[in-house]
Amino acid sequence: MNPIQLIVDALSQGSLYALIALGIGLVFGVMRMINFAHGELIMIGAYALVVPSASDMARPFIAAWPAPLLIAAVIGFVAVAALATERFAFRPLRRREVDSATLLISSFAVSYLLQSLVLFFYTGRPKSVSIFPSLTRQITFGGVRVAMVDAVTILVTAALLAATVVFLRRARAGIEVRAAAEDFVMARMLGVKANRVIALAFGLSGAMAGAVSLLFVAKTGVLDFRMGVPLAIAGFVGTVIGGVGNLVGAVLGGFFLGAASVLLQALLPEELRPARDAFLYSLVILVLLVRPQGLFVTRGAGERI
Amino acid sequence: MTRKRFLAAFPAAGLIPALGVLCVVVHYLGGPLLEGALTEALVYMVMVIALYVFVGNSGIISFGHVTFAMIGAYASAWQTCCAGMRGVFMPGLPDWLLRVNMPTTPATLLAALLAAAFAALIGVAISRLGAFAAPIGLLSLLFVIKTIYENWTSVTAGQSSIVGLPLDVDIWTALLWVFAAIVVAQLHARSPSGLRLRASREDEAAARASGVTIWKERLIAFVLSAFLFAVGGGLFGHFLGTLAVSEFWLDMTFLTLAMLVVGGMRSLTGAVVGTLVVSAVRELLRAFERGIDIGGLDIHAPEGTQEIWLAVILLVILIFRPQGLVGDRELGRPVVK
Amino acid sequence: MLEGDGVEIRYGAVPAIREITFRVDEGEIVCFVGPNGAGKSTTTLGVAGVLKPTKGTIRFRSRPIGGLDPEIIVSLGIALVPEGRRIFSRLTVRENLVVASGLRGGLNNVASLHERVLALFPILRSRYGSHAGHLSGGEQQQLAIARALLTQPKLLIVDEPSLGLAPKYVDLVLQTLRELRSAGTTLLVVEQSMKRALDLADRVYLMRSGRIVLEGASSELAGRDDLESVYFGQKASH
Repeated sequence: MNPIQLIVDALSQGSLYALIALGIGLVFGVMRMINFAHGELIMIGAYALVVPSASDMARPFIAAWPAPLLIAAVIGFVAVAALATERFAFRPLRRREVDSATLLISSFAVSYLLQSLVLFFYTGRPKSVSIFPSLTRQITFGGVRVAMVDAVTILVTAALLAATVVFLRRARAGIEVRAAAEDFVMARMLGVKANRVIALAFGLSGAMAGAVSLLFVAKTGVLDFRMGVPLAIAGFVGTVIGGVGNLVGAVLGGFFLGAASVLLQALLPEELRPARDAFLYSLVILVLLVRPQGLFVTRGAGERI
Repeated sequence: MTRKRFLAAFPAAGLIPALGVLCVVVHYLGGPLLEGALTEALVYMVMVIALYVFVGNSGIISFGHVTFAMIGAYASAWQTCCAGMRGVFMPGLPDWLLRVNMPTTPATLLAALLAAAFAALIGVAISRLGAFAAPIGLLSLLFVIKTIYENWTSVTAGQSSIVGLPLDVDIWTALLWVFAAIVVAQLHARSPSGLRLRASREDEAAARASGVTIWKERLIAFVLSAFLFAVGGGLFGHFLGTLAVSEFWLDMTFLTLAMLVVGGMRSLTGAVVGTLVVSAVRELLRAFERGIDIGGLDIHAPEGTQEIWLAVILLVILIFRPQGLVGDRELGRPVVK
Repeated sequence: MLEGDGVEIRYGAVPAIREITFRVDEGEIVCFVGPNGAGKSTTTLGVAGVLKPTKGTIRFRSRPIGGLDPEIIVSLGIALVPEGRRIFSRLTVRENLVVASGLRGGLNNVASLHERVLALFPILRSRYGSHAGHLSGGEQQQLAIARALLTQPKLLIVDEPSLGLAPKYVDLVLQTLRELRSAGTTLLVVEQSMKRALDLADRVYLMRSGRIVLEGASSELAGRDDLESVYFGQKASH
């Protein structure tokens, strides 16, 4: 494979995982909860594209809508779903001041619930769906052929990251989110409404997940009710490598994991390719043995881990 | 020692006769369906007790313990499968292993030892991780091992099922294993290591300040729980008679965790009670899925509702009674936090 | 203005404060004094809504506030500058102030709101764009108070304002508190030093081991020579 294509592929995968880690990191920042249901948010965004049925030739639902409407609908739907999980599952738990272990398990329960619901309505058969068919083209960039969908993934991720940075730095709500992430109780003592800040984080996280749904389906075209799990695991592992509680670290960690995944795939001999994830996560364990706090820890991250 | 104080010190002492009575009643008065359901519950109970040994004592959630069930199940199958068909399912096994024909019990123990050894190896890394990184690491571990097992076709039959394992696990076998697990868990919980681990559970910083080296105690609990969970895996295979890698993934993870949490994460009694309650609910839901005749009406729940209900029940318990049905109580004594 | 009646707050099974009965009248400066672990901070956290009383009532202007959320209590007019200041060290000085501006300010008058506190604490103006974590202890304390003032409190609670500060800052901060009282803010101050408490406050409550062991006007208490022994618990209060 052409090295440029490989790099683009690595950047694209890295971007996707970075987006996933960002979504996870936003919620973790304000709630100190690893949202295991994040992968399922991506999954239901993808499934919203087709009509519930048992067949493997899925009938398009939102997938048939014109592009701007499709994008808005999926992102909106997942954001609303994320808000619903916050409102009906996580807020009651928060009100009871449960410990972090309970929050973790409950996010796992929400994750399993979403998987089971999709399994129920769509059955377990993988389905194929096609969106943005124009993205499957290859474009020629200075003599190199690059998959359009990869280029779009990189650009969309860059744009979303930039927008997030601007939001967190400039908007009052963004500053409140950062304050809440650093010291939630103190922020509340200054008038920041807990429910609003957390809902905001969930909504943004959901919107990110929706974007990932679209990019992922555009690239792979396959729906499977467990598709969110490896994506979420990659997101979590990226967060852990980057340093738990550190948003920049999470994004970088996700990015490196995605890029490393692609590079490893290309470098491994044919027979070992299916075990790529095994190699990758073993590498992660080695990293964590040396630096259990993560690679990109900023000062002051101590107790939070 | 008065009886109350004895029960307070060794809550398991109450559980063992209680379970014994339950099994006797079901065996002689229940039908084969009920006995089968209870046997299955007992197999899961071994796993849930194993989970308690680590999660309950350390306070660290594990989403990856099913790894050890998988290792234990397959390692025991390597020794006991399948009346001459072993080489057909798993041609890659070395000759000496193909020829071995162990009875289920020692096979299970050996398999569990293998799992424990593996746990010791990766446990060194896992026990150093904090409360957030550890569950993620363990889930990733399960994911990795699952992927390996799915692809290592010559040794695990990959994504196909292995059928024909000796059906050696009846209600009494399972019960005896549960007794053993209860005793082991109890001894660990009251050992200095277990006590120190529980001290660290409440406040890591304080425990560290008072000189407790947490990761060693975590490692011990981790290896012990891996051993017991692997025993559960071996029992699982010899109860069902078939094995497939797909059995050891999210459904089993969710089920065992739900059983522990519903009963009460922090007590052995909770592990036992939770398993029985969740198993009972499952049987009920299964019956609905099969179809029940109520006053002439055939009530038939569509397939897949079982998992939805279980997830909802777990969430409800977490919201309204996060300490579980048993709470912080061991059989006989409320625990002062 | 603020009344506590038989307040008890527990950490788990252990009561941290018990039978705490006190009042702060409008326009006063009241001090809670006592050694470490006496329960002074716990009491202020209970008033601010961070901790929930297990017994007793807390009333602000006759309205019960025990157990309400912190963001509601601050909207009612009580602001707490907690022990250790707890400024957002990863945010700039300006951003710290912005966080506190949401309660009373619209997006429009953020600048004018900031102007008023910056006039009170000119040093913050020169450090407006710096990360709050880079400020000295005294500057951080001023920032913490400035932040709280942006919520326009009727009652300002300051927990250990002089902790860890260089002497020049201590005087500055205490003077600022007196000025705030003159301008109409009621103050509840937590202090470890009996001398500073008597110096600053109109009335003092002496706490020890979770209870109030002595209370009275500073003018009266200043004359007693057994204060030290009561403070340290060597002698029961009368």
